[in-house]
Amino acid sequence: MTPLQTIDPRRRSRRLEYRSHDRLLNDFAFTPKDSDFPSRAGPPSGSARASTPVPPFSKASGEPADDLDLSFLPDELSVNTQDAEGSAGASQDVDVGLASRHEGEDEDKPSSSSSQLANTGAIFCPMTPMTPMTPVTPMTERSGIIPQLQNIVSTVNLGCPLDLKFIALQARNAEYNPKRFAAVIMRIREPRTTALIFSSGKMVCTGAKSEEQSRLAARKYARVVQKLGFPARFLDFKIQNMVASCDVCFPIRLEGLVLTHQQFSSYEPELFPGLIYRMVKPRIVLLIFVSGKVVLTGAKERGEIYEAFENIYPILRGFRKQ
Amino acid sequence: MSAAALKCLCCGSSSVVEEDHYTQRQMVCVDCGAVVSEGALTHDTFEGTDISYSRTTAVSKKPCLNQRKGQQQLTALCRVLRVNSEIERIASEYFTQAYEHESFLKVSLQKKETLVGCCVLVSCRQLNWPVSMCTIACLLEADMAMVGGVYHEMIKVLQLEVPHISVSDVMESHCKEYKISSLDVPEGLAEDHRDIQERALSLVELAADSWIVTGRRPVPLMMATVYLAWQSLKPNLVRLNMSLPKFCRIAKVRQNQTAAKRVGEIKSVLCKLGKEIPWVTDPVTSGNVVRYVEDIVKNRYALLRRALRSHEEAMREESQLCCEEANPSEPEDQTLRATSRNSEKSKQPGEGREFKAHQDLEPNWGKRMVFAPPCVIHAKRRRAAAERLEGITGDEEISDSEIDSYIRTPQEAREFAVAQKAWVSQSDQAECE
Repeated sequence: MTPLQTIDPRRRSRRLEYRSHDRLLNDFAFTPKDSDFPSRAGPPSGSARASTPVPPFSKASGEPADDLDLSFLPDELSVNTQDAEGSAGASQDVDVGLASRHEGEDEDKPSSSSSQLANTGAIFCPMTPMTPMTPVTPMTERSGIIPQLQNIVSTVNLGCPLDLKFIALQARNAEYNPKRFAAVIMRIREPRTTALIFSSGKMVCTGAKSEEQSRLAARKYARVVQKLGFPARFLDFKIQNMVASCDVCFPIRLEGLVLTHQQFSSYEPELFPGLIYRMVKPRIVLLIFVSGKVVLTGAKERGEIYEAFENIYPILRGFRKQ
Repeated sequence: MSAAALKCLCCGSSSVVEEDHYTQRQMVCVDCGAVVSEGALTHDTFEGTDISYSRTTAVSKKPCLNQRKGQQQLTALCRVLRVNSEIERIASEYFTQAYEHESFLKVSLQKKETLVGCCVLVSCRQLNWPVSMCTIACLLEADMAMVGGVYHEMIKVLQLEVPHISVSDVMESHCKEYKISSLDVPEGLAEDHRDIQERALSLVELAADSWIVTGRRPVPLMMATVYLAWQSLKPNLVRLNMSLPKFCRIAKVRQNQTAAKRVGEIKSVLCKLGKEIPWVTDPVTSGNVVRYVEDIVKNRYALLRRALRSHEEAMREESQLCCEEANPSEPEDQTLRATSRNSEKSKQPGEGREFKAHQDLEPNWGKRMVFAPPCVIHAKRRRAAAERLEGITGDEEISDSEIDSYIRTPQEAREFAVAQKAWVSQSDQAECE
């Protein structure tokens, strides 16, 4: 699911036209003035293209600049960026109005949303991203392998104290053994997940394969608790950890890797057959095995996993033929 | 009772040291090993104060009893391993730092004892004196998992950089453990440990080149190579018929289950190389490959190159014989993979094609390479991944019927409550009896 799919096709084509101008504008490095902008959202005519300045999108970081009039941009755009951020797992309360957030979070989430957009690659040319960010590796150098998400851990606050004994009694899918662990373990079939529900009202949901599934599952658990008679709400849903795995399909010389990347890697064959690589940016831990399989964990967002894999792939390629 | 004043009753030497034997203090003579005296209960006086340091007005903290004991154990361990004084000094420093760090304050005594071993291990590695973790675990009589845990914790806390040691480094000390010199075993079975070490080292290098070493525990591998080296140095019927467990018994070394598997893997690699020897006419099987080990080991690089080349040719013929629909980039893909480490230039033109070829790769690419890690060749068959739910937004409607299916009916809840009470009272009765 991409945010692009919900854009009006008319808007999409207009944005493409703006795209090709970006390069020219960046070369000239000029600041647009109010009078230069089209007052209505109409397609710029052919002759006017070179002279009519188009708002340079590369400037849009944080709140829009004072002299930029972005009123002609469609309203749907704000909804789309919200979706991109929501699906990237930003923490939010459903009750709170969504519109107020997206401007502030633009800065935080440029890499995730644009890497999501860049990965779809369908319409946007990845060379000129919408928001400023660190240079992305061009499409031709990419690995072509996409790590698959295997597990998502998220937490949510139901907002009211719970009677665990009552829940264990009334719910079919719950188990509760206070001597062993102080929480109810509840499971649902679709999406196949497990939740730990504590008496304070906090809940941990594990086992989902995507951020949206995790959110849906958490909502289902909250609904079950609601049906049992508690005034449960859905506050502060946050993705805490994401685990993904992939296969590069060639064997890797772990001994070589630990010698050259000593400050990041830890390889102790007596303890664990894989090499533990602690990447600094983004802060992800990778387990690299001799068979070429790589496990990535510690991410709070999907983009971090993709970025980490794109960072490690050229390093692994270097240890392929030795 | 100071140690200096005592004299050994057996041999009369005055070098008597104090040692802890299962927490009981004993005075042992260094030269002859006689126990001079055992500590009576009155000897173990508690030399500290009754009040802990944090509640006194003392300015500097003196090392507590356990810390001093730990230091003594550290010294003893260093003596057993016969390391030099520099290693001992550094290990002692690390131990003091780690012991006084907050993450090791409230740890069990067992972990603190393991910490001693880890400090020695780290300082040995840093000063290029290779010791395997298995050895340390053996000496401490500790579980490998605990040693691993404490080791990682210590490295993180003290922020140390520990160089990685390879199997070849530890090989020498491992070979010395095998008691197969002419003093211990009959002449036919005896072998000088230097010859064994040399042969075993080349076998280890061969195994490393063919992906058998990476990711595996070193000890079973070393055992396998020593066994094969010993067999191949004099490949007569006696040695060839001796099984691995029997060999371990003769050499007075602890047996290992995985070593047999490693023997099999190394033999299969040797067979692949044995086929390439030009002057060998009979087929090389795992039964007779040991005879050719000497030749293989001497010419291993040439044989490796030949094996890779002939595999390359075989793959090319195979793909040509296959129908025309075969992906044209595949044979080139194989060529790139199969060439030896010297051909880095072929990497560039192949990259673009590999991008396309990657999507067409079968799940088990290992079967198409000459040498691949055994875990790839014999890949575990995983059960089919659960069907991935597509197109979920997370904000969908949740049907009431679905939620109701997770909640007990009142009748069911009553029955469950009754049953649970009965079960609990039954188990209570059973406990009382």
